[in-house]
Amino acid sequence: MKAFEEIEHTADLAFCAYGRDPAELFANAARGMFTLQGGGLPPPLQERRVEVEGVDRETLLVNWLNELLYLQERHGEVYSEFEMEELSATRLRARVRGGAQAGVRRRIKAVTFHDLRVRQTAEGWQATLVLDV
Amino acid sequence: MQKTQTIASKRDFAPVARNVWELPREFREDMRVPARLYADESLLEDALADRSIEQLVNTATLPGIVKYAIAMPDIHQGYGFPIGGVVATRVPEGVISPGGVGYDINCGVRVLASTLSVEEVRPHLDGLLTALYHNCPSGVGVSGGFRLSHEDLDEVLSEGARWALRQGYARPQDLERTEEYGCIAGADPQQVSPRAKERGRPQIGTLGAGNHFIEVDRIAAIYDGEAAERLGLFPEQVVVQIHCGSRGLGHQVCEDYVSRLQSTVREYGIELPDRELVCAPLDSPEGEQYLAAMAGAANFAFANRQVLTHQIRRSLEQALAGRVQSFDLHQVYDIAHNMAKMEEHQVGGQSTKVCVHRKGATRAFGPGSPVLPDSLRNLGQPVLVPGSMGTASYILLGTERSMEQTFGSTCHGAGRVMSRARAKKQVRGERLREELEARGIGVRAGSLSGLAEEAPIAYKDVARVVEVVHRAGIGKKVARLEPIGVIKG
Repeated sequence: MKAFEEIEHTADLAFCAYGRDPAELFANAARGMFTLQGGGLPPPLQERRVEVEGVDRETLLVNWLNELLYLQERHGEVYSEFEMEELSATRLRARVRGGAQAGVRRRIKAVTFHDLRVRQTAEGWQATLVLDV
Repeated sequence: MQKTQTIASKRDFAPVARNVWELPREFREDMRVPARLYADESLLEDALADRSIEQLVNTATLPGIVKYAIAMPDIHQGYGFPIGGVVATRVPEGVISPGGVGYDINCGVRVLASTLSVEEVRPHLDGLLTALYHNCPSGVGVSGGFRLSHEDLDEVLSEGARWALRQGYARPQDLERTEEYGCIAGADPQQVSPRAKERGRPQIGTLGAGNHFIEVDRIAAIYDGEAAERLGLFPEQVVVQIHCGSRGLGHQVCEDYVSRLQSTVREYGIELPDRELVCAPLDSPEGEQYLAAMAGAANFAFANRQVLTHQIRRSLEQALAGRVQSFDLHQVYDIAHNMAKMEEHQVGGQSTKVCVHRKGATRAFGPGSPVLPDSLRNLGQPVLVPGSMGTASYILLGTERSMEQTFGSTCHGAGRVMSRARAKKQVRGERLREELEARGIGVRAGSLSGLAEEAPIAYKDVARVVEVVHRAGIGKKVARLEPIGVIKG
């Protein structure tokens, strides 16, 4: 199964993320978002803890990715490993690991709710995400 | 929540005037008003090539929308609203949609006109571009040289460019030549989250990345000599353009409210075809809180462009003092192109208070508007339309017809037609820089692949976009600018 794939979007960035279960979907969505910024993913040297909530799975996914963008801006890091400690439809706790954001050349302003649906398919889970750049 | 989408074709649009097309309310059952698009046939076809029109139709479903959902000729696919979208909702029962303003609240453009000709500046251009690149930090995750305390930042959020004036970063005339005099009323720093403030505090006086830029231009053509003279513009004059917004602070304000409203929108019983359109009634606590936070972020952006103006004046001083006889830089105007504003417009023959969302569209108030300063009142508001990198930009004036037809709005730029990924495959940043330099355009860029993503090939022809608004009468051409130097993150 692919982790994620970029989708054509005229002005912004869009991609589809996949996973066998919601935890893998959330991790692959994060991986996709950092990969699309260019510069490659650093080795997992620095660990940060993340806790987010949302009224439903879609809101939780957007809040999770926006939290990672905030950590990126705050610490100048990008992340390559995502370990879910708790994941329900409305709450997430995770440890994320990564390092300095050397080579990042495309800053994502935010993750949007546009067209967003987290779906369970015959192969697993998937979500389409549009990023404002 | 998703409705079955109907895909529009050219046949669905009826021409209502030259370069104005209407999609009737019956096109989709959830539309509350018709949609109107300003375009020539070729730009209409461009708009039909991606999901722009579907997004325009989605905005026509917003509660309280009046007259039409409008799109400008630079329309392109965004998220929620199309870029180039204008929606007015009736006060107080209509809604405010944070996603309809966007993440870069008060992203906008400022044009500063020098007293120098291109001939005088050309020998010192290299030094000027280097000084600008050094003094106006750009790129991913860059901080500025200005340190704001928590109290300072609250003052910036409340006062906008007035704060900059008190700090000595502005002249009184700069504020007079800024939309809303550089300060949106009703800002409340309490409604801006601590995280948004934390992100904004180190970023004042920075340009950011993406499509933001500083450009040194020459006045390449003048279409309205009298208006140009009134604005202090002359042929072959050197002018400087700034394009940037509210940086991480504005992004966080939008994010906070788009996320928060996901649950409250259900409580208000509002059904939407796209969750990014999430909104709240203008008179609800959530609506009022967002408007107060948005005004704060908008004021941050006005202050940011003002601090950059100060830095640009310093750069000129560094690069030109003692080398050219005398020089100065006066502000032509500063406009916002991602905003929601409380304004009075004619609806059904009556003056009505509405909240005008402009997402990638520019305010274009016509002559006589009481909100314009005395020096511009009988002329109309200057409108600044940046083209894609290395092409042309335009200065227009707002018109009576823009007041009648588009809630005093017009286009904001060229509008993309090609994704960043495809542009990067077709254009190499290094090659593009060589081509620009061969045409006498100096380039300072933090990232060559970022440069490639902004290649002119990825955009519509700005001349065509401007021609449509000029012919439709919702903007009047005054001057064309062509670049001699580009600074990009």
